Amino acid sequence: MANINELMTCFSFGKQADISTAQTVGSMWRLTNLNRKPWAQNPVSEDDAVETGKGHEFAVQLFKSHYAPPEYEIQKYLSAEFAAWAFGFGLGNVVKSGTTPNFIYTITPILGATNPTGLELPYSTYVQQIRPGGSAVLDQLFKGCAVSSVKLALRNSPGRGSAMLTAGLVTTGQYTEPSTITMPASTPVHEMQAGGMTLTINGIDYVTSKNFLTLDWGWSNNFRSGWFPGSGSQDGFQTQGRFEIGDRAHGLSFTARFANGSSELTKLRALTTGTAVIVLTNDTNNNLTITEQKMAFKVAEIGEADGIVTVSVTGSQLYDTTNGLVTIVAKTAFDGICQ
Amino acid sequence: MQKDTVFMKSGEGEIREVEATPEVLTPLMAAGWHQHHPEKSPVAPAEEGK
Repeated sequence: MANINELMTCFSFGKQADISTAQTVGSMWRLTNLNRKPWAQNPVSEDDAVETGKGHEFAVQLFKSHYAPPEYEIQKYLSAEFAAWAFGFGLGNVVKSGTTPNFIYTITPILGATNPTGLELPYSTYVQQIRPGGSAVLDQLFKGCAVSSVKLALRNSPGRGSAMLTAGLVTTGQYTEPSTITMPASTPVHEMQAGGMTLTINGIDYVTSKNFLTLDWGWSNNFRSGWFPGSGSQDGFQTQGRFEIGDRAHGLSFTARFANGSSELTKLRALTTGTAVIVLTNDTNNNLTITEQKMAFKVAEIGEADGIVTVSVTGSQLYDTTNGLVTIVAKTAFDGICQ
Repeated sequence: MQKDTVFMKSGEGEIREVEATPEVLTPLMAAGWHQHHPEKSPVAPAEEGK
């Protein structure tokens, strides 16, 4: 029996050389996770029930099939370090500049035509342990982990929960057990709460007007299946050999108070476009700026929250011919993220 | 103060050193450029006897 509070995890902030080569412990950091579940491995077997010739409809034999680990979420309070990691591995085109203590990660979505690894994003390594050593309950290293989705949630509540960042991970099924990893010391992070944010959408400064309530930012890579002849196997179970981006999806929605002069409906009717700039700050060296390059409003619905008239807006992110879809700048003192 | 610069490489292989600001990097990255890390210059061996 083991208590889930004994679960320890670390994962690589540096990218793997390729999908099947695990990162070393020197490129791993140990961060906490609000998701209390371990990452399931899920080996899948199949049987011969549908085959005729046995004289009955029941299965008599089992066969090894494949590893099908589900998407696993790392759920964290927003920090500069984890933001650089999640957006870097999730969007893929990362430019690192700056020096200690102010590294700057400028991040945009990859273009499959020019990305050095084609349709594949950088891969990370994930380790989970419960009582590692001679009597380990769990001690696994997963290779070839790719960020399939990123979700940023900003809420009108106090505390760390006001800004949450979640990264959804998938993995090939390739693993090492025991991991042989000595868990590094906990990595300090610089968290950023919604109370210090600035926000301008389509020409409106929502923070100065004190009208902002919530915002949800989402990204999905919609990975294509990584099964193919030659994709690999371990223990006789097939593993996936690639995670290629599919038709990626990106969304931004928000809710604000609706008052005299609120322009959301007018802008939707006029199909007005503009940038949306979200800034969250810990300090000068640790902050996050998300710039939607060309945003219009798809839906603007009048409603109510806590007795106040509101407008809930679903954005329509357009691809700007010069600046693309979205640019993310994460500043942190931590070096080597997604490098 | 010296400006922070990075090397960028286009899909066609052109390499350019540019200022590392979002205003400069964003149009390049949107056009498919990515960061280029030039090979480090080999360190000259130390002369014997010195």
